[in-house]
Amino acid sequence: MSFLEISGLKKHYGPVAALAGVDLSVASGSRTAIVGPSGCGKTTLLRLIAGFEAPDQGHIALDGEVLANGGVAVPAHRRGIGVVAQDGALFPHLTISDNIGFGMGRNEDKRAERIVELAYIVGLDKAILKRRPHELSGGQQQRVALARAMAMKPRLMLLDEPFSALDTGLRASMRKAVAELLEAAGITTILVTHDQAEALSFAAQVAVMRDGKFSQVGTPRDLYLKPKDRMIAEFLGDAIILPAKISDGFASSSLGRIAVDTMERRDVARIMLRPEQIALKRTSREGMSGTSDMPFGEVTESEFAGSTCTIAVRLLNNSDPPDAAAIGNTPLILRKSGMDAPAVGEIVRLTVSGKAHVFA
Amino acid sequence: MKYKLSTLVGATAVAIGLIAGPAMAEDAGIIVYNAQHESLAKEWAEGFTKETGIKVTLRNGGDSDFSNQIVAEGTASPADVFLTENSPAMVLVESAGLFAPVDADTMAQVPQDYQAASGKWVGVAARSTVFAYNTTKLKTDQLPKSLLDLADPSWKGRWAASPSGADFQAIVSALLQLKGQAATADWLKAMKTNFTAYKGNSTVMKAVNAGEIEGGVIYHYYYFGDQAKTGENSKNVALHYFKNQDPGAFVSVSGGGVLASSKHPKEAQAFLKFVTGKGGQEVLKNGTSFEYAVGKGAESNPKLVPLVDLQAPKVDATTLNSKKVTDLMTAAGLL
Amino acid sequence: MAPWLITAAISVSLLALVPLAFIIWIAVQTGWDTVSALVFRPRVGELLVNTTLLVLLAVPIAIILSVALAWLTERSNLPGARLWAWLCVAPLAIPAFVHSYAWITMVPGLHGLWAGVLVSVIAYFPFLYLPISAALRRLDPALEDAAAALGLGPWRVFWRVVLPQLRLAICGGSLLVGLHLLAEYGLYVFIRFDTFTTAIVDQFQSTFNGPAANMLAGVLVTCCFVLLGLEVLVRGEERYARVGSGAARYQQRANLGRATIPSLLLLLVTTLLALGVPFVTIGRWLAAGGTDVWRFDEIGLALGQTLFLALAGALLATVAAMPMAWISIRAPGPLQRLLEGCNYIVGSLPGVVIALALVTITVRIALPLYQTLFTILVAYALMFLPRALVSLRASIAQAPVELERAASSLGRRPLNALWSTTIRLSAPGAAAGMALVALGIMNELTATQMLAPNGTRTLAMAFWSYSGEIDYASAAPYAFIMVAMSLPLTWLLYVQSKRMAGR
Repeated sequence: MSFLEISGLKKHYGPVAALAGVDLSVASGSRTAIVGPSGCGKTTLLRLIAGFEAPDQGHIALDGEVLANGGVAVPAHRRGIGVVAQDGALFPHLTISDNIGFGMGRNEDKRAERIVELAYIVGLDKAILKRRPHELSGGQQQRVALARAMAMKPRLMLLDEPFSALDTGLRASMRKAVAELLEAAGITTILVTHDQAEALSFAAQVAVMRDGKFSQVGTPRDLYLKPKDRMIAEFLGDAIILPAKISDGFASSSLGRIAVDTMERRDVARIMLRPEQIALKRTSREGMSGTSDMPFGEVTESEFAGSTCTIAVRLLNNSDPPDAAAIGNTPLILRKSGMDAPAVGEIVRLTVSGKAHVFA
Repeated sequence: MKYKLSTLVGATAVAIGLIAGPAMAEDAGIIVYNAQHESLAKEWAEGFTKETGIKVTLRNGGDSDFSNQIVAEGTASPADVFLTENSPAMVLVESAGLFAPVDADTMAQVPQDYQAASGKWVGVAARSTVFAYNTTKLKTDQLPKSLLDLADPSWKGRWAASPSGADFQAIVSALLQLKGQAATADWLKAMKTNFTAYKGNSTVMKAVNAGEIEGGVIYHYYYFGDQAKTGENSKNVALHYFKNQDPGAFVSVSGGGVLASSKHPKEAQAFLKFVTGKGGQEVLKNGTSFEYAVGKGAESNPKLVPLVDLQAPKVDATTLNSKKVTDLMTAAGLL
Repeated sequence: MAPWLITAAISVSLLALVPLAFIIWIAVQTGWDTVSALVFRPRVGELLVNTTLLVLLAVPIAIILSVALAWLTERSNLPGARLWAWLCVAPLAIPAFVHSYAWITMVPGLHGLWAGVLVSVIAYFPFLYLPISAALRRLDPALEDAAAALGLGPWRVFWRVVLPQLRLAICGGSLLVGLHLLAEYGLYVFIRFDTFTTAIVDQFQSTFNGPAANMLAGVLVTCCFVLLGLEVLVRGEERYARVGSGAARYQQRANLGRATIPSLLLLLVTTLLALGVPFVTIGRWLAAGGTDVWRFDEIGLALGQTLFLALAGALLATVAAMPMAWISIRAPGPLQRLLEGCNYIVGSLPGVVIALALVTITVRIALPLYQTLFTILVAYALMFLPRALVSLRASIAQAPVELERAASSLGRRPLNALWSTTIRLSAPGAAAGMALVALGIMNELTATQMLAPNGTRTLAMAFWSYSGEIDYASAAPYAFIMVAMSLPLTWLLYVQSKRMAGR
């Protein structure tokens, strides 16, 4: 049985449905990420789990205890759920030490030691404890917020875009540190974010949310390689989507014959490839001749951006794709390594590795 | 929009300046520092302007602040005439040497008893000290025989006065002249424990009427003034005159004088002559002030107990010492 | 930075310090023996006890009331919260002495400390309500969520998270209320409660500018400084701004549930006491007085003079505040803080003290200025400079310096550049500040009485004169006009406080 069980959760603000029926189950000690564009309802879901608001309908249970059922809800302060908010929400009138110790009793045993210990766990220097929140950097503030939430030994930890205010470099390292920390503490965690890379790298289970509902829930790998539809595919990363004729586990498309992830299909459908599945090999116009099966292209744009380089390739030998009008002469956009990227005007041969995903 | 707002504010300011500016800067005529009741002085000023065409500007205040103010202003005082309710303020200005002699024909309109022997100021009206009491709380046989009785512990918490007013301070100055400094200081000290302070004689009477307190030391005319209006603040009040030359039977002379520094001495003298003459004194008889008229042959309002029946103590108005009184009262903690 | 601006700002601050320097000078002149005889006497002790008790009782009660009202109107689902919010500000339109005029009519025997506390709280609580409700609106709701998630129930969240963050607002508002309590005269005369200010006026009326009045003023000034110091001490060097950068979510309003009726009752009672009593009383006296009390020539003159004084004073205060406001935004530093401190200290002095100083100075040294329009306008400017400064500073802060620079780079000379950008843009703020100064002048009594040129009779003076003779009916039209003219200005205050909170 799962640790957190959510079913049929609905919440309206006036005429706007923020949540239109959400079901989710989270295993004990696991990490789940909820990802979606802003306004999709993910923050509302988090607030309902935290108990800041009561749902209109639906059911939330944590470790067998019913937290919300219809309009009846256990208030936030009796749930024992830790929350780390977007900007940390540190109490500006308290020192860091008092912030971390806020949820403990004032006379709790070994309060000071616990605070120092928590600060150490989240990687804060002891000297910082006497300071005020505004004297800290964004990353430090988030660590304090995390320590504060961990101090109450929560059953469940909710992270509400906690890394979004941080610099790009810091973000990745914080994410890794927090993931490891919570793992070590064995705390079940739900992360809400609009950053798909963050969601995919952080969690064992990712839920993509749109318009108040989950469009797809699964492992990061499944979601990335087998998204249910085009929108999910593009939300989770760059995608090349092509019309293709499917049969016997292969698709024939403008990129030639490509293996697909299903044997059953036998129809015209759209397939999806991730750009990293396509390799470019320099050649010349002369090299194209005689190999009608192989897709070739001409580089029409090449935008260097340091480690990566965005390349536009116009296919040259269109082998009669089933839906030519739709794709037209739209070039393929591929993000490749900045090292040794082909220049504009060069002719390249395209090779596909792995299988393409067929949309329903 | 923002531009319009500032223009609007500016335009309004200019417009109001144009309207109100002249109202503040118009020709003032003679300036009277008036410590008398505003309504009485206004009647005098209007009557005078009607008779002579000379404009009068009143600056209203109290005896003490004006007398001290005139002394502080010295010869630069903007005032032409000074009118008071009581004599001590007159004495203060006189002893600073700031009064011009009052015209002889003005002096001739008022009996000797009601003017300064020095000829520097003249009485314009008079008022009598009374003990106003609540008729339901006090019977006539329970009334104090003398002002001095109010110092008795049996009167603790039962009587009121307005110690910050010049009226009461004038009464104290009479006490000082009649009984000496030591006795006055003792009486004031007892008063501090016995009495309840109100601001203004009207307020004292109102409190007596409401039964908040049994009686109060005030002047007579507050009662008659209120009776002439609605009587709302005096319907439970009766006046007790101490008589018997008691300090509490003190009759205070309101004075008028012309400042030596006046820039309109002729007009100022004419004003004083009007006030002490037939026109001015008839205002006292017929108006709503209910103060005693002091002009020769002038009659007071028939409702009042005649001046001669009051058996007032003999007090030399020209030596009443206001400075000493405020010092004593400050020392007693009344100020 | 333009040197003439600094010169102007320094001159204004020096002028502001004149009354203070004067009190010290008088004390030195008077000599220690007289000073100690006048200061260390039982009467001063009595006044000190009275004044201290008044502040110690009225301020905490006003704080509790204001926090409750602000929370109900800003953070609960109280029906008609917006209307109630305005009704909580509206009592400011009623001059304090009109409040006690009303109370003394309703309850004739009302007097003493508790009467003083009652009427003071009613007359001045909006000074606390305004900043507290603004601060409540500005609070980051995420903090309350965080506290709840950390296991705190609603009450403890309020005590440990909300209340501490209201500290600045409460300190500032309490200081304002405290200073008003020290400075107010008319309110306490009606209900026969002696404070330093009433005693100074008594002394002034008995001895004009005698040493006793000046020494009482010295003690009163010391009390003001004690309040200022206390406020600085309690406020501390705290920073309560939002720490994070995320956009503030709209706050949730608490569901009052069964507490709705008692909450409504609290607001209703407050409104009845603070607005009902004065309005009913004025109405009653107007009805009793009939048409006789509407002496239009007299009232018209008083109205014209009051408006003139109010607008001229407001203009002067705003112009005087301009250099200081500009410097404090564009070139903040130790000099600016020092100058600004001077102005705030003087702004906190009671009108009676400033007037007393100006009377004595003009009589003794600058006689041509004595009893002139100029002197009274200077007094108003000194008294109300902080009001103009606060509004101006806020609006200059919203006019980016880049515009001024752009104008300069387009060939405008500095003054012209300043005029065509910053001053233009800060005009609405300046207008709001002027309105607030005008409101203060309109209801000012003590300084006006002491300093006004001959022939001046403002609405407040006329009201005071009539009510002094217990002619409450004749005083009623003046009270009515003062209230009617001030009401729109309180609306302005209300709107301004909303805007300052970012909504």
